[in-house]
Amino acid sequence: MQTNPHRWFGVGQSSAPDSRKAGAEAASEAIGGREAKAVFVFASVTHDLPELLRGVRMEAGPDAEIVGATTMGELGSAGTTVGGLSVAALGGDGFTVQARAAHVYQSDPRAAGAAAAEALHDMDDEHKVLILLADGLARQTHEIVRGAYSAIGASVPLVGGFAADDRQFAKTYQFFNDEVLSEAVIGLALGSDGPMGIGVAHGWRRTEPPMMVSKATGPHIYELDHEPALDVLLRRNNFDGTAAEFFSQGHSLQPLGLSRRSGEDIRVIHAGDDEARSVWGTADVPQGALVWLMEGDRQSLLDGAAWSCTEAVARLEGLPPLGVLAFDCGGRWAGLVEGGLEQEIQAMRTALSDAPFAGFYTLGEIARVRGAMGTHALTLVTLALA
Amino acid sequence: MPSWSSHLLTEYFAAVNAAADETSAIASAVERATEMVEAEVGAVVREGRVFGAYGFGPVVPETALHEVAAGQPMLEVPYVGELHAVSNPLGSETGDALIVARLSEPFEPAERQMLQGMGQVLGLALRSIRVLAAERHMRAEQERQASTAQTRQRLVESLLTIQRAISARRPLPEILDAVTGGAHDLLGGATVTLMLAEGGTDRRLTVASKQGEDVSPPESLARAAMAGGAVVVRPDGAGWMIAAPVRVTGEMAGSLVAHLPGVAGQQNEQRDQLAAFAQQVSLALTDARTVEAVREAHHDPITGLPNRALFLKILNRVLASRVTSSDPTSVLFIDLDRFKAVNDSLGHDAGDQLLALVARRLRGCVRASDTTARLGGDEFAALVHDSPAETAEVVGERIVTALKEPFRVAGREVFIGASVGIAISRESEQKSEELLHNADVAMYRAKKDGPGRVLVYQPYMHAEALDRLSLRGDLQRALREREFRLQYQPLIRLADGQAAGVEALIRWQSPTRGFVSPVDFIPIAEEFGLIVDIGQWVLETSAVQVAKWRRDHPDLTLNVNVSGHQLVHPRFADNVMRALAIAGLPSSAVTLELTESVLMSEPDLGMSALHVLRGLGVQLSIDDFGTGYSSLAYLRELPVDELKIDRAFIARAELTSEDLALVRTIVELGQILGLRVVAEGIENAAQLAALRGLGCGYGQGYHLCRPVDPEVVLERLSGSPVGVLDHRSTA
Repeated sequence: MQTNPHRWFGVGQSSAPDSRKAGAEAASEAIGGREAKAVFVFASVTHDLPELLRGVRMEAGPDAEIVGATTMGELGSAGTTVGGLSVAALGGDGFTVQARAAHVYQSDPRAAGAAAAEALHDMDDEHKVLILLADGLARQTHEIVRGAYSAIGASVPLVGGFAADDRQFAKTYQFFNDEVLSEAVIGLALGSDGPMGIGVAHGWRRTEPPMMVSKATGPHIYELDHEPALDVLLRRNNFDGTAAEFFSQGHSLQPLGLSRRSGEDIRVIHAGDDEARSVWGTADVPQGALVWLMEGDRQSLLDGAAWSCTEAVARLEGLPPLGVLAFDCGGRWAGLVEGGLEQEIQAMRTALSDAPFAGFYTLGEIARVRGAMGTHALTLVTLALA
Repeated sequence: MPSWSSHLLTEYFAAVNAAADETSAIASAVERATEMVEAEVGAVVREGRVFGAYGFGPVVPETALHEVAAGQPMLEVPYVGELHAVSNPLGSETGDALIVARLSEPFEPAERQMLQGMGQVLGLALRSIRVLAAERHMRAEQERQASTAQTRQRLVESLLTIQRAISARRPLPEILDAVTGGAHDLLGGATVTLMLAEGGTDRRLTVASKQGEDVSPPESLARAAMAGGAVVVRPDGAGWMIAAPVRVTGEMAGSLVAHLPGVAGQQNEQRDQLAAFAQQVSLALTDARTVEAVREAHHDPITGLPNRALFLKILNRVLASRVTSSDPTSVLFIDLDRFKAVNDSLGHDAGDQLLALVARRLRGCVRASDTTARLGGDEFAALVHDSPAETAEVVGERIVTALKEPFRVAGREVFIGASVGIAISRESEQKSEELLHNADVAMYRAKKDGPGRVLVYQPYMHAEALDRLSLRGDLQRALREREFRLQYQPLIRLADGQAAGVEALIRWQSPTRGFVSPVDFIPIAEEFGLIVDIGQWVLETSAVQVAKWRRDHPDLTLNVNVSGHQLVHPRFADNVMRALAIAGLPSSAVTLELTESVLMSEPDLGMSALHVLRGLGVQLSIDDFGTGYSSLAYLRELPVDELKIDRAFIARAELTSEDLALVRTIVELGQILGLRVVAEGIENAAQLAALRGLGCGYGQGYHLCRPVDPEVVLERLSGSPVGVLDHRSTA
């Protein structure tokens, strides 16, 4: 066991109602008087975001790269919050940091992903990762990640999450240094002379029988097995009522699993239209795809959290984790909200041997280690640093 | 998860086929294939180049990708490592492939199979995108040509109106207004101003006529056109200014100026149009009666013959001046056969050259006092007056004979021909247009009977012409409403009486006309260009049908008749291959039947398509062999696989020794050249026995099997051998 003193990682949280104060408090706890190279800020849209960033900047000093996103709940070593703030900071000679931001134009989300990937430019550290924080309400969020992947290729892994706005689905924000952006993607390239590990796990199971997406455009599903999609979901859930009632009465999570080689690519369906009998989520569901309704009980979701952390730590070449960034799905939050959140945090603490961690509940997760696919849903993505 | 791969294919298929162009189809295919098998990288190698490289980052290892396409199982990707690679052909083109490569583990058989499918799907999508793009391009081109032709027509009409005003010696201001008004209309409402120089030393410019709302153009532009003696085009704020010089008896007299709003790119055409109007002004100003000016406006510049307008004027005069009804006035309408083919294949210059030669020969066919004219396109007319009706027919025959002789154009021999319609009038009341129209109708009727005919107009032809037009409408509807259906007539192997293949035959049951024979509607479909769509429908429908039957009868082949009009269609080979690809019918199972006359009349045009198709495995058959030239030369040059002996040689109940000798010659010819020989129209056992005796390999005819509906074909195919028993009973 050896820790390298020239890399450090810290986390902080705050539930102070005053945004500047909350920012300063959480940042101060995370930075602990050291010289930060990067500060990650995950905050609720209820905060006065520019004020909050001012508070963070006061503690982080002028040179730190501040990046972040708004959330559907925040998480950290101390627990979960809603309407709060969670901060992670890192520094030391062993880390290198570069950040870029790009506006996501609807016509070309790919270009934004590629521009954010420019953060990796000229970085020649032994270990590298590109952390992406993007607007979760942008159309074709997949394309943002594909854009980044097509620019950097398979040699560098990707992690990150899509920003949320609690449960309003109206407007999300991204933080880039002292700016509060929207419809943007932030790329933070992190280089290190120590190993990094990424974990991805969800904990959902298929319920048979599968269905064919017979009509869909983008994230909208119109028909499953040639039957109106909303009718199918209501029937399979034995629910009698409107789409609004269905999606707000505890059934709000309708994970659909797309058939993939190593399991499922999960999509969250979170809304429906009574007139068109259609349903939709935040990510594209390809027409012609075979999908399963996914179900998860509390234990399997908790197992998923533990598994994600364990997998990330296992890739640290035997070194103990310095700290972890966590991108947890807002859907999982909903699935665990009644008493399960504390259990999830506990499961993560245990799996990480009490190493500090911070992150947020997202509108979609980003992780690419193997293969080319980089977007996920209802999963917990963890980035462990040694 | 054994079936995850097949789940993905539909998803992939939907995505790739939604792509609008090759680049996005390739990108979509590569990315999805890469993601679906959880590979890191993917690319397409096509026509020796790398496309859609994904997952490589900034440096694409092109050489290594080419090696993978050639069969190398591993791919070294810088900073990633050595990846397991698999190359999936896009189709039959060697070397074109969809490549994916994965770091973690080699691809399993199920994945390879899925990826092979993905490669094929992409290949198909790319081919259909190419076909579609070509189609779109062609449609746009046709539309552009149509609109150009329309504009040209309007220009001509407008200029003719002015010309009439000039000829009729209307007051000059009226003519000048007609010029600016005509230009104003033709240029889409542009403001058109005619500025003329006054006499005196300073030659001040004044506005002589103006149409449109805009202010008068600057004098400087008008003067620039006058000084240069040429049309001047200048950008002007929101649009363009065009000025064309106006001359009077060779001297600069002013300028016609147009102010055009917006749009760049059309100035060339508009410049020419304005110049044409300026020319009219010049004519009007110089002197409407100037012989040269009239001549230019009334004569066809290519042939030097009078144009339609002048021809009608002369005809009018002749008709009006007739005093006796002793000898009538005849109008001959002459339409060239195959001119379009020459024009298309050798170019417009050669076409113009040919028209001039035709005009010269035409003039040689009539008396010096008779008038010949070029009506437009490949249509000519001759006016023969004060001659007996028979004389007109003699002249018509003379013209047909003269034009049948080869022409020497662009360094090569060109064969065309002509059909002639004659309308004869003994009345002085007859309208010239009507007479010409009747000759036109007679010409169409003559053409219907085959090339090189001469026919005199009869009133029933008019009704026929109307019927032709309505038949065209019905045919268009038939195609749209799916009124056509197919019957199939088996080709029987005479040795064992088994069906070797089927010939698809089109049938049309019209809701208004009842059953219409192909003999009646195919020529109309050809004439109006519907044959390409109808032929494609036949090919597509029969290909799907035969592909289905081949599940039970794997060796069954398909014969489809092809019209010469299809053959010369630029996308013919593509259309055939697309139909077969969609049906999943191998090209080797298909024989296209062409008639001898088609091959003779379009010897060059269709040749390349036929060679392409032959190269792709499609077989070719000469239908009604023996009725035309039966030239051995084209049998050597053409990639023919099959000869069909025309039913005419077998039609007699008892074949004569001459018939037998001819059939034997064809059979032996087939044997020498290694071609299948099929006898058509076998109607009795005696004919069958005789043909079998001569060693003819295959036969078709009512005695063997009539054309039948698709539902009963399988029954026939599976039934007892045809004709064998008959043979024994007569033997």
